[in-house]
Amino acid sequence: MILSNIQLKNFRSHKSLNLNFSSGLNYIIGGNGQGKTSVIEAIVYLCTAKGHTVKTDGEAVCFNEDRFEIAGIFRGETENRANVIYTKSQNKKSYFKNEKKITRAADIIGKFPVVLLSPDDHAITQGTPGERRRFIDSVISQASETYFRNLLDYNKTLLQRSSLLNQIKDHRSKNMLSELDAWSSILVRTGSYIIKQRKRFINSFNEYVSQSYALIMEQAETPEVFYAHLGNYTGEDIEKEFERQIARRKEEEIARGTNLVGPQRDDFIFSLNGNNLKTYGSQGQHKTFQVALRFAEFFYLKEITGTEPIFLLDDVFGELDTHRAQKISQYLTNVEQAFITVTDLSNFSFLKRNETDNVIMLKAGEVTYA
Amino acid sequence: MQIAQPLQVAVEELSKLPGIGKKTALRLALFILKSNKESVDQFIKSLSELKSKLRLCSRCFNLAEDELCQVCMSQKRDKSIICVVEEASDVIAIERTNEYNGLYHVLGGVLSPLSGIGPESLKIKELINRFNSENIKEVLLAINPDTEGETTTLYLAKLIKPLGIRVTRIARGLPIGGDLEFADEATIGRAVNGRIEF
Repeated sequence: MILSNIQLKNFRSHKSLNLNFSSGLNYIIGGNGQGKTSVIEAIVYLCTAKGHTVKTDGEAVCFNEDRFEIAGIFRGETENRANVIYTKSQNKKSYFKNEKKITRAADIIGKFPVVLLSPDDHAITQGTPGERRRFIDSVISQASETYFRNLLDYNKTLLQRSSLLNQIKDHRSKNMLSELDAWSSILVRTGSYIIKQRKRFINSFNEYVSQSYALIMEQAETPEVFYAHLGNYTGEDIEKEFERQIARRKEEEIARGTNLVGPQRDDFIFSLNGNNLKTYGSQGQHKTFQVALRFAEFFYLKEITGTEPIFLLDDVFGELDTHRAQKISQYLTNVEQAFITVTDLSNFSFLKRNETDNVIMLKAGEVTYA
Repeated sequence: MQIAQPLQVAVEELSKLPGIGKKTALRLALFILKSNKESVDQFIKSLSELKSKLRLCSRCFNLAEDELCQVCMSQKRDKSIICVVEEASDVIAIERTNEYNGLYHVLGGVLSPLSGIGPESLKIKELINRFNSENIKEVLLAINPDTEGETTTLYLAKLIKPLGIRVTRIARGLPIGGDLEFADEATIGRAVNGRIEF
């Protein structure tokens, strides 16, 4: 599947922009502030109905404007059109697929699979556990609608349950405690499903990670991802353990008015040759690991969904040494469609270039194809 | 836009209805305007009677014209089984199937701490009281299978089972006439998990 055209109206810095893309590599070239990342973000919006840099949709609307529009055409076995329209004054966002309004996120996520490699990825290996859960959840969600729906259900259950915990903290009653039991059972049911799916995912994902790592690095470093769940539980009976912990910490949960047990507190640990990356990794090893994770995501989604994801590389080559950048660009020539932003191609003469590469220059709102 | 005041008011009132936007509201208002007086009066009467003549059944909280609803008053229903639903509209949905011949109990919602709806806000105490005054052998839980609904189902099952009453829930699975390959993953997944033995 490839994205063949995108049109932006009042999106971030672009008043009006119309771009044609080809299969293979699409270089988006422009100086700082020319709107390269905006193009990448618009593609992310088309695939996920959300942006990756903006905190709210309102931030993505052009200064002094009220509404942005993104329209894209995807070509695969069939042609699909996607539109995202957001109106700031009503804080209303609509997503359309082939002119038909789609309201459920589960009907959007994973339908146009996308993988984004950007400088923000440092948070995956160097940031909080929440960043790692977000990464892992987004990969599984793109591959499995059932997982994504269970995740949404689980988050809703967490909100309901913490609200009830707070109410019990203020005025405890027998009724409320038996209601809490019901919420706990549902939490355990959905939460155990999530833990089991993550375990299963990590088992198969590890192979993709080591293959991708080997692609970038020649030295024999062995990467591995561990899933630390329910504290450091290593047994097989997830439900039982979840129930046991939630029963044990019930009073603590009530006293603090918050959920203390479950996959919302899990973490993923990355290691190289058995050493914890977070503690022992060099900056270069972190960067390589982040790139390997994104490539692994790409191959995993390709395998599982049967559709080759669109690969977005935002401002990545500046951060890598020439050797590694070269290896990556060499590999990218095999990808069905990738988008790469760089400030200036002449600085990246080592990039593997193909006759068919599409080079798009952005300057002061003007577009030229080279 | 300048339109006559009565028309504007009617459009505004109509567009308060669910699923009706400004355009549809205008179309409806103009249609009503063109209709003859009798049919408009009939329409108004039916709407106002909806409010004045209907109330909640004092036993099961289904919609009723009298103290008790038609189901509770009927001699033909099986009075040993109660089907518990969220809203009166669910009663209508189940009645349309003609597959169920027992009684109902309308909870009036589902548990939702975030919206401040606890067991006391639902007609749960009233349900339990019915076990004393009526000869109930089975409770069929037919609550929507979303997060809040599932929790309510579980809460009720735990509450009722110790009272020595059989508790069942409606099956979840594939729609009749639906092709397996067109059903969504979540539905198929649940149908597989809830499989039954021949």
